Amino acid sequence: MTMMFDPASGVQHNVEARPMLSRDADSMYWMARYVERAEHVARLLRVHMVLLTDVGDLTPVLEHQMWLTILSTMRVGEEPEGNEPLSTRIAHFMTFDLNNNSSIASCIAKARENAKAIRESISSEMWECLNMLYWGIQGDDARPRYEESPDDYFYRIMTGSMLFQGLTNQTMAHDQRWCFTQAAKYLERIDVTARVIATRFEVLTGMATQLDQPIRNIHLMGVLRSCCSLESYRRLHLADLDATRIAQFLILQADYPRSIRFCLEQARQAIEQMRISNGQRSPSLPERILGRLGSQLEYADMSEILAEGLTPFLKRIEDGANEASVQLQRSYFLY
Amino acid sequence: MFENYEVGSVFDEMFVEPDSPRKHYAPVAQRLMDMDADAFERRRRMADVLFRNQGITFTVYADKRGVEKIFPFDLVPRIVPHDEWDLLERGLIQRITALNLFCQDIYHEQRILKERIIDPELIYGAKMFRREMMGVNVPRNIYMHICGTDLIRGSDGIYYVLEDNGRTPSGVSYVLENRAVMKRVLPSLFNQYRVRAIEDYPFNLLNTMQHVAPPHVKDPTCVILTPGIYNSAYFEHTFLARQMGVDLVEGQDLVVENGYVYMRTTAGLRRVDVIYRRLDDDFLDPLAFRQDSILGVAGLMNAYRVGNVALVNAVGTGVADDKAIYPFVPDMIKFYLGQDAILPNVPTYICARPDDLKYVLENLDKLVVKSTNESGGYGMLMGHQSTKQEREIFAQKIKDEPRDFVAQPVVQLSQHPSFCDGGNVISNDGTRKFEGRRVDLRPYILYGEKVIVMPGGLTRVALRRGSLVVNSSQGGGSKDTWVLEDDAT
Repeated sequence: MTMMFDPASGVQHNVEARPMLSRDADSMYWMARYVERAEHVARLLRVHMVLLTDVGDLTPVLEHQMWLTILSTMRVGEEPEGNEPLSTRIAHFMTFDLNNNSSIASCIAKARENAKAIRESISSEMWECLNMLYWGIQGDDARPRYEESPDDYFYRIMTGSMLFQGLTNQTMAHDQRWCFTQAAKYLERIDVTARVIATRFEVLTGMATQLDQPIRNIHLMGVLRSCCSLESYRRLHLADLDATRIAQFLILQADYPRSIRFCLEQARQAIEQMRISNGQRSPSLPERILGRLGSQLEYADMSEILAEGLTPFLKRIEDGANEASVQLQRSYFLY
Repeated sequence: MFENYEVGSVFDEMFVEPDSPRKHYAPVAQRLMDMDADAFERRRRMADVLFRNQGITFTVYADKRGVEKIFPFDLVPRIVPHDEWDLLERGLIQRITALNLFCQDIYHEQRILKERIIDPELIYGAKMFRREMMGVNVPRNIYMHICGTDLIRGSDGIYYVLEDNGRTPSGVSYVLENRAVMKRVLPSLFNQYRVRAIEDYPFNLLNTMQHVAPPHVKDPTCVILTPGIYNSAYFEHTFLARQMGVDLVEGQDLVVENGYVYMRTTAGLRRVDVIYRRLDDDFLDPLAFRQDSILGVAGLMNAYRVGNVALVNAVGTGVADDKAIYPFVPDMIKFYLGQDAILPNVPTYICARPDDLKYVLENLDKLVVKSTNESGGYGMLMGHQSTKQEREIFAQKIKDEPRDFVAQPVVQLSQHPSFCDGGNVISNDGTRKFEGRRVDLRPYILYGEKVIVMPGGLTRVALRRGSLVVNSSQGGGSKDTWVLEDDAT
């Protein structure tokens, strides 16, 4: 019998992780980003369906407008054609249509395609989770399950994404690979959150005079729900639904993982860690972009933001996050 | 579910005659007889879901998105008793040893040709003979590091070697996954057996790779080179990379500079020492082989020839698993090792020989004709099942290019009970039950510091009744293969 532990085996103390393939970094990034995107689409649709039930009869113009916010939030230019009611058309289009790059089905399929290309770099748990999500939307029973309860269907996709993110945190080393998933997730969240706030507040401001208090509150709750933030907001501000306060919470709250400020900081840290693990000392370009935006939010005041205008301010954040994403790809993926 | 089970005239792995299982199968047979069809069907579904969720699938392109299918998995394990395996293991070690000496000889002194054991024309006519390898010294003189040898069992119960796959044999991931799924779905079947573990295969494979790393490299970087995600064996490439903890690279990830191979990482170029390539020779290096290959790495052959990188398997092993060279393996064993072959070949007629050609053309309806350049069950003629017209077309092909064909008598593969679910696998009367289906066996052999035969292998099943073609591309399935420990019942 040999000894189980050989004191003279000369095992190294701190084995440095091998640098990752550039192509793997690319796939890692897009895998995480598409999963996050699918979750947002599912949540938007789910919240929307409940919201429309709650507010009761809307004028056709208003209802139309509300549905279109989903498309504009996800940057989908064209309205889907067909004879069904707009709500059905948009829900199907954003859920199942593989020709629509932003549909849940497309996002999950692309996330899985990317995961497949780095199958050996991610954990089996992550892969199986993503696979189950995929079969949940591609399998034969997907449509009947959706028709029976869209709410449950969307809920499963949201929790599936969260499970995937939890597994990403708990089943792979927090090395450079992991940093790419984190940067991707938070950059995507910044992008969607900024546009949810912008589009929804635009619509709400436009119809402010038509809304009485209870209906207004339902709409405001809808904004918070779309950003998965209702409960945390209430814990801080109680049930006082105030548009400015909500915007402030979603943009500037330092410790809430759905606020833009929080996401900017997390994305920056992930990119910083990537750079450090490559042994480079000075901050990279995407890091600087995010750092500058982050410190703006850190010292911002809501009244100044409103003076600038909420929409242009959010546009600036959106552009900054996208520029950071482009620069990140330029630094690590292109070779 | 074994009612009216037919043993027939072929060798049945499980039963001597109906209701009388062989000793080593008795506990499994009993357990299966105690189960009803519904219970068994439920387990089969569980297995299917496990395979699907793990993404162990292959793609059939029917429309834009392609349809992913799982490989049919048959839950009844194939069991090889210890003494049978002992013989197989010795035979396979003998065989891979001779094949490696053969490659070394062919690309250096060519003694076996000079002494007229093999006709030089057969070698130079082999599509996979690589002139570029003449005089090249490969690390530790190992050419075939990984070999998958297909074995079949005739009606006499004797194991025959049908062919050696000495280039990039695939399927080993299914062996490991089949076992893992089996343990989850039918754990109780293992209770009365001591089945030899196969789970250390990836570790052995990594050792095999590290063994041929360039000398003086202390901690060699090993990678697997894949053609990419659209390759039918892509799952296996990722599986092995994950199991070994090495990077899976595509041609575009590698670059050759100053005779060394590097991979492109987020921290710049990183040297690569050993490549387990899952690409055919033809696609490895557009500068040396096919110029239109975009899968390979320009300059790789030069880095390889000067010994700065090791390739697993070596370039040029195709000359040893050519179907027209195969008949000479027993002669190689005699010539290089001075021994008689432990595992017999299937008698083979080489159409390049005038006498054989004449016999083949006269007896096409009794023979299996194989193209020497194809694998996976393509380019075959099953004489006894063919039409007159098919035979005529084939006869013409053979006459045009006799070097490209060999012929063998029809070997009745052994059969093994398989579950007929009425969907994928249909029984004679359409009911759900067990029926005999033909099987083969592909063990995997690693040639590193020592030769290791994985105790088990891929048992492939022809799921169509009476069919002798087990290839997955032709609708075959697979089953878990158990090799028993010495003192097991």
